[in-house]
Amino acid sequence: MDELLRDFLTETTEHIEGAETQLVHFERNPSDMSLITSIFRLVHTIKGTSSFLGLERLERVGHAAESVMGMLRDGVAPTQHSVTIILAAIDRIKTIIEEIGRNGGEPPGDDSEIINALEAYYAQGSDTAAAETSAKAAEPAVSEQAPIAEVSQPIVEVPSVSAEPVAAAAAAPSQPKAEPAPKEGKSDAQPKQGGSTANQESIRVSVETIERMMQLVSELVLSRNQLLELARHREDDAIKTPLQHLSTLTSDLQDAVMRARMQPVGRLYANLPRLVRELSTSLGKNIDLITEGADTELDRQLIEVIRDPLTHLIRNCADHGIERPEERLAKGKPERGEIRVSAAHEAGQITIDIADDGKGLDTERIKAKITSQGLATEQDLRSMSNEEIYRYIFEPGFSTAQVVSNVSGRGVGMDVVRSNIEAIGGSVSLSSVEGKGSRFSLRIPLTLAIAPALIIEVAGQRFALPQTSVVEAVSLGRNYKDLIQNVQNALVLKLREEVIPAVELREVVGLSATSESDESEKLAVVMRVGTDSFCIIVDSVADIQEIVVKPLSASLAHLKVFSGHTILGDGSVVLILDPAGIAANLGIEKSSDKKREQLRDQNALERRRLVMFRAGSGAPKVLPLSLVSRIEMVETSRIESSDGRLMVLLQGRLMPIVPISPEIDMSRPSYPVLVVATEKRSIGLMTDEIVDILEEKLEIQLASANSELVGSAEIRGEAVELIDVAHFIRMADPPSKSGTAPQRVLFAADDQLVRDMLCPALSAAGYNLVATTIPSDISELFNQFTSFDAIILDADAPALQVPKFLQALRDRKDAARIPAIGISTTPNGRTSRIATENGMTALLSKHDRHTLLETLAYALDAAADAKATSMEIAA
Amino acid sequence: MSAAVAVHTTSDVPTAGEESYFTVFAGGEAFGLSVLHTQTIFRITSVTPIPLGPIDIVGLVNLRGKIVTAVSLRRRLGIPVDEVHNSLAIGIEHKGENFALIVDEVGDVLTLDASMKVQIPAHFDPARSRFMAGLYKVGNLLVPALNIEALFDFAN
Repeated sequence: MDELLRDFLTETTEHIEGAETQLVHFERNPSDMSLITSIFRLVHTIKGTSSFLGLERLERVGHAAESVMGMLRDGVAPTQHSVTIILAAIDRIKTIIEEIGRNGGEPPGDDSEIINALEAYYAQGSDTAAAETSAKAAEPAVSEQAPIAEVSQPIVEVPSVSAEPVAAAAAAPSQPKAEPAPKEGKSDAQPKQGGSTANQESIRVSVETIERMMQLVSELVLSRNQLLELARHREDDAIKTPLQHLSTLTSDLQDAVMRARMQPVGRLYANLPRLVRELSTSLGKNIDLITEGADTELDRQLIEVIRDPLTHLIRNCADHGIERPEERLAKGKPERGEIRVSAAHEAGQITIDIADDGKGLDTERIKAKITSQGLATEQDLRSMSNEEIYRYIFEPGFSTAQVVSNVSGRGVGMDVVRSNIEAIGGSVSLSSVEGKGSRFSLRIPLTLAIAPALIIEVAGQRFALPQTSVVEAVSLGRNYKDLIQNVQNALVLKLREEVIPAVELREVVGLSATSESDESEKLAVVMRVGTDSFCIIVDSVADIQEIVVKPLSASLAHLKVFSGHTILGDGSVVLILDPAGIAANLGIEKSSDKKREQLRDQNALERRRLVMFRAGSGAPKVLPLSLVSRIEMVETSRIESSDGRLMVLLQGRLMPIVPISPEIDMSRPSYPVLVVATEKRSIGLMTDEIVDILEEKLEIQLASANSELVGSAEIRGEAVELIDVAHFIRMADPPSKSGTAPQRVLFAADDQLVRDMLCPALSAAGYNLVATTIPSDISELFNQFTSFDAIILDADAPALQVPKFLQALRDRKDAARIPAIGISTTPNGRTSRIATENGMTALLSKHDRHTLLETLAYALDAAADAKATSMEIAA
Repeated sequence: MSAAVAVHTTSDVPTAGEESYFTVFAGGEAFGLSVLHTQTIFRITSVTPIPLGPIDIVGLVNLRGKIVTAVSLRRRLGIPVDEVHNSLAIGIEHKGENFALIVDEVGDVLTLDASMKVQIPAHFDPARSRFMAGLYKVGNLLVPALNIEALFDFAN
């Protein structure tokens, strides 16, 4: 890609996110002219640069948006309509820029609807403006050439509540004043100013460079420590002072480099004003968003992980927390609700609070839900604090919403919020005052690379224990016999009123006690993994250190009680204990899950969560909930038709909409839409009605000539149809490579879920996919091979673990031509090696769609090259 | 690369079909270790044992800020370990992993070529012969070349 183009892309992408926020702020505070001026400048720069680079679509959209923004800048009050159409234009600019980033050029497409809406508004607005300010005729607004008069049809519907007259056809035939544009010269100068100051403040450095610096600094710290160790034994003042200086500098340098990896939390805030604006509109509530602590810094990796949970929690506050305006007034609260997101640094961690001033949690209803779901008995609940009760909200499938709304209430997500946050060593908690509001608190480590750890000692060897899962350390000392008891051949710690499973770490790691281990120094370290507590008994806690976590090498990766290793300040290597691995080793599973399973039948494990819905006539349809990222209620009026496809603007993105049945005729004001995320983007499947979310064993009768169905099944005595998401993805996104036939890929896996998960992604990527189970005689599969361009195999399937399979794989004649990619739940160094040595192209994780797609594309390219070469030779 | 070992001098650059090997010793026996695999030779000062880890892995070692997995050649070949010969190690990178192979001693560089190769006798203990990439006749001495692949495979 052109250097110039690439610079343009990175710069624009960065700025445009800010533009959305500023625009929403401006809508709220029309008097703050600096906001609109800066967005105007940005769009102006985009327009100018695009015209220079020959990007015509961008230029045209930019130009139209600029005119409307020019009006706002010149004092025309913003309305919901004008802001919405500008946001739509910004979205389009974003989409086009993303496309350019992928393909290096502007995609073909038609922006006339957006441009027309903008120009219609502009024409109508400038008319009004001209009438109002006729006295100031000496300074007319920037105007357009004649053709816009023909323009009509606004594409973005204005909600009827808007006071602004609709910028409809009637307004369009205005008489544009073909005046020269005296403002042009002035606004030309502005972007340059803005651009140059921005450039002085920051430079772009690749992540690789920063990582390299981190490595070097780590080694520098190590050398420094060794020097200090040497100097300690020597009474040499001449060395001491400079060494002290070196030591401080090294620490400072380490700090500075760490800081370079950090990014302000403000990046997370950028999309929130818009999210809240859209939530307010769709829920019919008035909500203000307040963000605090935008400059709190966090490791860049973590920012991305937190984005989704944060969005989810805000949706939850808006939907469940904040009351409707009339309700609020009745309670004597201000009409406008408030969601406050604040970030702060606290004891080596970042806390992010999401608080609302809504109705708070209904503890009684939560209790009722807990008992009805069999998560705990009423007796259990009586002894629990409110905080403990709220913790159940993060259990899978838990929702107290009585009415399922389009925003939330299906119990999808809160468990995901918790697991996402816990995956990065953080925690989430919830507090609430009934009638006053509720508050989610996220505690997140500063960085993933460096973690505080307890350095513990057992049987003369030191280990590191990540502090994030440590709850407390209890000194046992002389009270050992009282605190630790041997019950039924298992140890328990009696702490306050609790009984906590305990284990000697020495036994977990298989070390024998050394004679010098002093009983009186022993400690019990209490840890929490998920919702379970347990404790390990160690000889002593030697230190607390920040450690740089390095994963175990392949030959040791099978040791589940260790998660990695690290080098301590004194240069020694220690192993890092994995609390989850130890818990598993002890046989502690998630106790709540266990309880739940006991309360259900034995087949609980095979059950799958399904969303059941109706679309058109015929049997109800189902879809695994794992495929659905959320359910939205979409108003028919918001659906636009573009290129014969249906689209809706949701959270700032255009999402294609596919009706599941042709009988859905858009006659109703709104429809529930299942949002399914594919590799590239989300698509919406339009249904007539959501019937239920249920958890059932699904026995699918495969089948059906009907390509939109995977097959049918029986649920609670009723026949249901399992729809094939891939089919609808193809409908929404017809493969772009129209000239060449799509490549045929055979997908062989026994696990339906794996197929559910991966097939849509592959289909969406444009492959012609045939999914099948794995036959008992594997060579049968390979015989089918020849008609395919590639094969993807579930390497975990029992049939595949036998040497016969490997033999068959090795023996296949077409090995060089047809790539075979294995997928596995837990590929490791060893299994990958076995796979590749026996002729597989690669062995990949089932959970990594991205790598699978990349590898497949690469392997197909390579195979095509090889084919071409061999044909040349033959010729 | 370590400055400690000058692998190639102009005189012993191998010609086609030849390869250079270090002679390494374990329990009085000599083995050939391809110089191509070798990164550095160093002395281990401190090892962190790995509880529950494979028995042939002595532990983890800090080699200039990198954590390497130390493997004892003696243990690998079933030769009894002693207290003296436990610190001289050869740094080897294999399949993206850093290993240190602990040997008793490192000797001269040998140049071996295919013509010197002899069949591995069938009666060799498979527990040992699996670590051999070939057997070479050097003068009246038989030197087995080590199979790096097998040496650092802890699949079982």
